[in-house]
Amino acid sequence: MEGILRFLSYSGFANVTAGHIIMILIGLGFIYLAIRYEYEPLLLVPIGFGILIGNTPFMEHAGLQLGIYEEGSVLNYLYQGVLKGIYPPLIFLGIGAMTDFSTLISNPKLILLGAAAQLGIFTTYIGALLLGFTNPESASIGIIGGADGPTAIFLASRLAPHLIGSIAVAAYSYMALVPIIQPPIMRLLTTEKERRIKMKPPRSVTKQEKVLFPIFGLLLTGFIAPGSLPLLGMLFFGNLLKESLVTKRLADTAKNALIDIVTIILGITVGASTQATTFLTQQSMLIFVLGALSFMFSTAGGVLFAKFMNIFLSGENKINPLIGAAGVSAVPDSARVAQSEGLKADPSNHLLMHAMAPNVAGVIGSAVAAGIMMSFLL
Amino acid sequence: MNLFLWIQLNPDALKADHLMLAVIGYSVVFLALLLLYIFFRQLPKLLAFNLRRKLRKEGEPEKAATAGSAVPGEVNAAIATAIFLYLNELHDHETAVLTITKAAKSYSPWNSKIYNVTHFRRF
Repeated sequence: MEGILRFLSYSGFANVTAGHIIMILIGLGFIYLAIRYEYEPLLLVPIGFGILIGNTPFMEHAGLQLGIYEEGSVLNYLYQGVLKGIYPPLIFLGIGAMTDFSTLISNPKLILLGAAAQLGIFTTYIGALLLGFTNPESASIGIIGGADGPTAIFLASRLAPHLIGSIAVAAYSYMALVPIIQPPIMRLLTTEKERRIKMKPPRSVTKQEKVLFPIFGLLLTGFIAPGSLPLLGMLFFGNLLKESLVTKRLADTAKNALIDIVTIILGITVGASTQATTFLTQQSMLIFVLGALSFMFSTAGGVLFAKFMNIFLSGENKINPLIGAAGVSAVPDSARVAQSEGLKADPSNHLLMHAMAPNVAGVIGSAVAAGIMMSFLL
Repeated sequence: MNLFLWIQLNPDALKADHLMLAVIGYSVVFLALLLLYIFFRQLPKLLAFNLRRKLRKEGEPEKAATAGSAVPGEVNAAIATAIFLYLNELHDHETAVLTITKAAKSYSPWNSKIYNVTHFRRF
């Protein structure tokens, strides 16, 4: 009888709390959104399931070595890749091998939109400080506005490891909600006439330019912000594997098998790190609010800077300000949003190709911003 | 009831250093991407430098002036479409030799209905 009672005391039913139930519902919500509406399914399914794993109740502190925060548990070993910042650079390697920078090389002025759309990172940093977060915590929260999950995890792992779960979930949730968050801001800040601007088609890009881009891209950005080297180094290396055309096998592995494996492990461990006891706090709620604001400011920054650039541009060189919103990265969702908003204003105006330029520039911009934050605060 | 009643702003927490970090950080992001912009704007001209010099030496200054300038995407699309249409119009060269293929199936007990297992099915 004593054995049965002991078994029951170890079971989930004996250890369940309201927090566990709430987190399990959140996890189920993520999985539902991913499967029913296909919102970022590659991320939300692993994270959602990870939340279920991390919040299945058991007797904590009994030395069972089950929880993600318990030393010696399998999940804890996998979580080291998040804590030590190993997974984000590997994901960047895959992103680099997948990304075509042609549109950016063909119209390089659109790179600047990727810089302008990092506005949310720095405004939210100030906002988080005002709300009582410490300096490193504020920087980690601000980076949510970069709309780049791996960058957010990388910076949080270095500056505020205790906030990784909240920051990662906020970043990925808002990335999935880009089609809902961005359009109202884009419409608010642009006129109907501006939304109908047709941009000239991009020029063709030579192989030489494509090969030189990752090399000089790394050297130019790396010299300015060495803190971003782990991310940008891998991003540009992945891109060189793709564009050199002589390392096809390596590029294929980086953009398929490697990134898939890392995404699975990263998603599951980040999800599992949201244990109710550490996740359901006032701090987490504030991080969610600040993350949403960060996204909005970044979107506004990109759109307004495109309008500012148009003052100095004429005729066919003008930029449709809708593509400024794609500068927040969130590849390729924010570019798709620019395309769909452009089509609403003019059904013959396809902005997707143009929007991809600030979109990939945003990836570089947010990594540079993370590097700068690290250089200042570490 | 206001859910966010517990949120309190603390303006004293904001120091000049923090504002400096935000301003400098944003400026450096711009600077890094501005350098990329300048470099890749000039890159096509740098890559065409040798070609231009060669054309000038050969006494073709007009060609040298336009060498290395970008081919618009529309022109590429038009060329690609023209090639596609041309190749699509091409037909294989036929030998014009008539052949008669045997239409009847050769008999085998393995494909015979008579020996088929369904012939002896039970109900």
